[in-house]
Amino acid sequence: MANDDLIISDKNDDGIDRAGFIKCMAWAGTGILWMMNGGVMKSFGMSQMIDKTTGGLKKGLVIPASDFSFVQISDSHVGFNKPANPDVVGTLLATVAKINAMPTAPSFVLHTGDLSHLAQADEFDTLDQVLKTVKTEKIFYVPGEHDVLNGDNKQFLARYGKGTKGDGWYSYDSHGVHFIGLVNVVNTAEGGLGVLGHDQLEWLEDDLKGLSSSTPVVVFAHIPLWAIYPQWGWGTRDSEQALSYLKRFGSVTVLNGHIHQTMQKVEGNITFHTANSTAFPQPQPGTAPAPGPMKVPAEKLRGLLGLTDVHYVEHDHTLAITDTPLMEKM
Amino acid sequence: MYLPRKIIAITTLSVTVVAGIAAVKPANPPDTNFKNLKVLPKNIPSKDLSRIMVDEFQDDLGVSCNFCHAENKDTHKPDYASDEKPEKQIARVMMRMTMSLNKKYFKLKHPVIGDQALEVTCATCHHGKPHPDNTDVQ
Repeated sequence: MANDDLIISDKNDDGIDRAGFIKCMAWAGTGILWMMNGGVMKSFGMSQMIDKTTGGLKKGLVIPASDFSFVQISDSHVGFNKPANPDVVGTLLATVAKINAMPTAPSFVLHTGDLSHLAQADEFDTLDQVLKTVKTEKIFYVPGEHDVLNGDNKQFLARYGKGTKGDGWYSYDSHGVHFIGLVNVVNTAEGGLGVLGHDQLEWLEDDLKGLSSSTPVVVFAHIPLWAIYPQWGWGTRDSEQALSYLKRFGSVTVLNGHIHQTMQKVEGNITFHTANSTAFPQPQPGTAPAPGPMKVPAEKLRGLLGLTDVHYVEHDHTLAITDTPLMEKM
Repeated sequence: MYLPRKIIAITTLSVTVVAGIAAVKPANPPDTNFKNLKVLPKNIPSKDLSRIMVDEFQDDLGVSCNFCHAENKDTHKPDYASDEKPEKQIARVMMRMTMSLNKKYFKLKHPVIGDQALEVTCATCHHGKPHPDNTDVQ
């Protein structure tokens, strides 16, 4: 069934050089290319698509056409200047350059939090200056815990919270997909777990009520909504209730940041994905005493940073969610 | 309109005094609204406090805010001023110890937590763990 969605030959003249685009995405190292087919998201590991000897797309692999695309970036930590990356603005600028080099500009960009390192005005200012240069129509934000330090989320809301509810949650529709930005960093639980809270959960339930179950839904929040490694606070205490509201939908994709590495999980109709940081990597769960900035050899740093690109193709049928690389041509 | 000389003189003097006060008073006073600070300076700027919390405690001890700070039962947000958790008092003892070590053994005249000049920091013993252990000692 997956082969029905493949382009047999890339001879259309829409100007999209998909092979070149995938080559470009290879910079993201362990980045993920997302495509939505039939209302559901499919993710393709970049490392499985790129021929390591040539640096190009593996022979025979093709990418389905898409109707619209968006990009997720996360954890820019503007203001951070420790050895793990003394130039986070530089790597953020490189990320922007990658976005701007895409064959088709993304419809919008999601920033899934930790925009700043210390929630300072000059850090937000710098981020705004950099992201002003992104070639896209709009940028949507949710805060990370670094953006609301010392219990103060007023500055974040003043800058990025226009039209949001409560501590900054909101939803919007784009190309038939319902997007929901959740905030799980203002209240926190023991061990640093995220918390959505009663008010936000009530709002979420209400927000989803009017949608048909065939509406594709994308939820984005900073701290993962699945229990990746609760010992390090990599999870959200009350996400179970939120996910119960999403169970009836045919396609749900959850995009998070916080852990500075890509991870994926598919559970029924829900695909969970975490993004790389644009600033510095963190250790894999349990491989260090605690999470935190991880210093790597300079030549390896950019391979552990990156962005996530998502493509959506509209069809009139749904497919089961998978997490596999593109099938090779038979 | 004719104004008596006395009124002009008083007005001029008042304006001069006000201008003088404005020149001395900082245009943007530090954002010092932090309560119950007993070791860190009471007028510590927000950026410095955040840096200590993030770089010294969070990264060097591998802990999150609610390791030391209790939760406000009504708002469910961290209650930074509360001393309910014993870990907060222990943190104060640790900070005093750190500054004392730097002063007594490394001759730093005015050691300040978070200062790059410190020879002994939280990371020296904690190595990213909330409780230093001796298992790595050779």
